[in-house]
Amino acid sequence: MQKGLKLTDILVTIVISIAFGILYKIWGPLYYAVKPFGLHIDQLIYGMWFMAATVAFLIIRKPGVALLAEIAASSGEFLMGSEFGLEVLLYGLIQGLFAEFILFAFRYKRFDLFVISLAALSSCTGSLIMDFYKGYIGDLSTWNLTLLIVFRMIGSILFTGFFAVSIAKALEATGVTNLVRSSSKKDHEALDQ
Amino acid sequence: MNSLFSGKYTWLHSINPSLKLLTLLSLFVLAINIHYLSFMVGFSCVILTLFIFGTGYSYKQLLLLSLPFLFVFLSTSSSMILFGKGETILFKWAYVQISEESLIRGIHLGFRALSFAMLGLIFALTTKPVMLFYSLMQQLKLPPKFAYSFMAAIRLIPIMIEEYQIIMNAQRVRGIEQKNHFLKRMQRLAIPLLSQSIRRAYRIAVSMEAKRFQSNRKRTYYYEVGFSRNDLLFLCYFLVLLGLAYLLSTHYPFLPNTDVRYLSDLRD
Repeated sequence: MQKGLKLTDILVTIVISIAFGILYKIWGPLYYAVKPFGLHIDQLIYGMWFMAATVAFLIIRKPGVALLAEIAASSGEFLMGSEFGLEVLLYGLIQGLFAEFILFAFRYKRFDLFVISLAALSSCTGSLIMDFYKGYIGDLSTWNLTLLIVFRMIGSILFTGFFAVSIAKALEATGVTNLVRSSSKKDHEALDQ
Repeated sequence: MNSLFSGKYTWLHSINPSLKLLTLLSLFVLAINIHYLSFMVGFSCVILTLFIFGTGYSYKQLLLLSLPFLFVFLSTSSSMILFGKGETILFKWAYVQISEESLIRGIHLGFRALSFAMLGLIFALTTKPVMLFYSLMQQLKLPPKFAYSFMAAIRLIPIMIEEYQIIMNAQRVRGIEQKNHFLKRMQRLAIPLLSQSIRRAYRIAVSMEAKRFQSNRKRTYYYEVGFSRNDLLFLCYFLVLLGLAYLLSTHYPFLPNTDVRYLSDLRD
């Protein structure tokens, strides 16, 4: 057995992420269109940006996929000329790392909504840390900051948790996930008979 | 991406992509450590100059590309200006509270977002993705299986966009309501798009391996990416002009010269 990610895993992860990258690029202007109200309605859709990591992990189910997916999605967005420019690369890296950390804590063995939502919240925390440095969000008045954090967390659980799990379930129903997942114990037992 | 418009080939195109990426990333780190508005404005001007004169695109194209910048600037600064902390109150209405500090901080953030956006576009407009990944393999030792996967995926972008339109049309022909529940609609688009992409990626990977693609052996490259005198020029441009901007802004600050952060602990 070869350890680590195979070419197939990497290629599939990156292609999924680039697809999300396109989505992010379409998403960006919408995000900016609702942002200037200042009441952080935009934060409800912020969770979209962490989705590549959990969707790719749910499909391939291997260590390192979440991080790679988030990096690939952000570089895809970056190379297409994102309005956010350079910062997407570092945000992607941090968000991917934070999601990966939660998945690692559960030893890449659990794929349920609870763990995926935890990974979503972790990515969310990563992005907030970046915002404290880059966006001085700590200098917002307290009620406004609370609103921002709560909205962003709700959004992450909604998109990166619920929506990602439902996408993965639907993809399993189509059968494509069998192409990329490593053979399970059940398959080996079936061969033995 | 470069296919967006075609511009002239300029000296910025000839810079080693890895070096360009690392330089821009260090500028990012530098920018988030700038806390004085005058220097931030100077920093943005240095980048703006390169953006206008260096990228080789016509002013019309650049103007079109810069339109989203206005949004970026307004949206980044507005919530800080309206809801930021501060003591010298200029305007107050219900929850909105504009103070001198929050105004300066908001403008600072706007300039910061603007310079990141320009840095990103400078890179995206003057770098061919293929050359970037060849350079990453050669200069930064990125494993080929990652680099080639990226290049294959980037090639698939136009196909994916085409497929997106086909799916939209197919659903419209079958009379699927567009004003349906938002998540439902997203899912109906995402599932066919993703499943097709996974199948295609899988086929590409299988055929690459069938043709004996290996990551661990020493490779030869079709494109050799090296360094030139322009790389030095690029580094010097930033070193000299940013140094100049720093000196000017500290000695002759033309804008309020205070730290934009809210340092309540340090006051009293």
